[in-house]
Amino acid sequence: MSPGPLDQGPLERVARQDGGRIIAALAARYRDLDIAEESFAEACAKAAAAWPTDGAPDQGVPRDPAAWLYRAADRAALDMLRRRRTRQRLAPDPPSPEPTIEDAMADNANLIPDERLRLIFVCCHPAVAAEARAALTLRMICGLSTAEIARAFLVSETTLAQRLVRAKRKIAEAGVPFEIPGPDAWAERLDAVLSTLEIAYAKAHEDAAGAGPHAGYAAEMLKLTEVLARLLPNEPEALALAALVRYAEARRPARLDEQGAMAPLSEQDPTAWNPALIAAGEAYLRQAARFRVAGPRALQAAIHSAWCARRSLADPAPWPIVLRLYDALLTLRNDPVVRLNRAVALAEVAGAAAALAEVEALDGQALNSFAPYHAVRADLLRRLRRIDEARAAYAAVLALGPPPAERLWLERRMAGLNA
Amino acid sequence: MQYALLIYEDEQVYGDERDNPAMTEIFAQHMAFIDEIGAARISGSGLAVTSSATTVRTRGGAQSVHDGPFGETKEQLGGFYVIEASDLDAAIAIARRVPLLKDGSIEIRPVLG
Repeated sequence: MSPGPLDQGPLERVARQDGGRIIAALAARYRDLDIAEESFAEACAKAAAAWPTDGAPDQGVPRDPAAWLYRAADRAALDMLRRRRTRQRLAPDPPSPEPTIEDAMADNANLIPDERLRLIFVCCHPAVAAEARAALTLRMICGLSTAEIARAFLVSETTLAQRLVRAKRKIAEAGVPFEIPGPDAWAERLDAVLSTLEIAYAKAHEDAAGAGPHAGYAAEMLKLTEVLARLLPNEPEALALAALVRYAEARRPARLDEQGAMAPLSEQDPTAWNPALIAAGEAYLRQAARFRVAGPRALQAAIHSAWCARRSLADPAPWPIVLRLYDALLTLRNDPVVRLNRAVALAEVAGAAAALAEVEALDGQALNSFAPYHAVRADLLRRLRRIDEARAAYAAVLALGPPPAERLWLERRMAGLNA
Repeated sequence: MQYALLIYEDEQVYGDERDNPAMTEIFAQHMAFIDEIGAARISGSGLAVTSSATTVRTRGGAQSVHDGPFGETKEQLGGFYVIEASDLDAAIAIARRVPLLKDGSIEIRPVLG
């Protein structure tokens, strides 16, 4: 499948738009991810031969291309299973009948069952290696190519392909069920899904420039979180995650300054933010708020919301609210990431000295290769005019090889120490 | 007395595919061994490769599910159950209920059949 957004013939369009749903329906029906993927690929190959690639629009393209692909893939899957049984010297099933006229005429709207939720739970099962879950979800649900995912995760395509093969084999061999978890396991399993998507989105968000392969990948995250929110309208954390991704993406246009350096949130020009995405985020957050439970993702979304309420740089930055929200988040997620973010807000409300005391209470040894730890420390030391220590902390972040936009910003701050 | 004989081998020697000469060979040898020891054998079975393993870990009263075989050197194999379960989730649900005095891990492996 070609990843480019421009060369979209009818096949590319339907594969991109409906591929995830078709593959999920096949996977749920045959309880086998390989069969689902391979049969879908075979159906696409058949379509590529049967459908016109250009020329008169719709000439020769089925009325409902998604249903056509689903039927073709379904037949291919049955053939594969039959061959597999023959190989294992079991009696083969009779061949599947060719589609009848009635089949072809039938209303296709309900032909493809939406099994994406089941498949998301399979891909994010805690028995699947943590480092493979996000990649598998993006592959199976969003239909991203191995190359696209490998680029986003900064690993080689071979490494990623191996991870996917291992994960799929694990699911098949260990007997991971293609079911939505029951009430006993629901909370834990839903959390695994949401955490997986958070990790997947963090990968898309890392790149402030967002001009590279990440831009398209971030768009897939918007789609994926929307799908999950639609499938789980009574799960405030799923709604909050959809909100979170929208707020963060809304600010993408303002994340770099004219020189290409990272612009910290408090210095971004709010007029450059995307108002449509902010509104979409607000809508999801309002839906989540109806449930009156402030989970970790709802609190994070609320922090984003506080920032996105800023209309211009002349408006005061919402630091006191942000600090209160981080206080609440800390009671749910006492981890270094939250404590560092809270320290940044604390510095604005109570001064750099108080914030530095919080940061120094963290386990510096354990966080030695964690760039945000050094970056926050460096900034606090800079404000306290502890120049030598600040310089050492900046050097520590830079030694960890930050992305270019962050590097530029850090180098600028470091150079400013002497002023 | 009854004893458990726990078989440790480098699983790599059997290769990736189940259907291979090494597997056929060892299977025949196990059949011969079972014949040989007769009534001394109470039960037993091969296990699927460790890549199919899932571990339920208990630490300080909290349980978590992980991909992969048991890997702690501070805990030792103390027993085993062979259970019937419809799928991995059903097996995990039972594994969570296995009594442990304090911390511990339950490794779940499909039995070859």
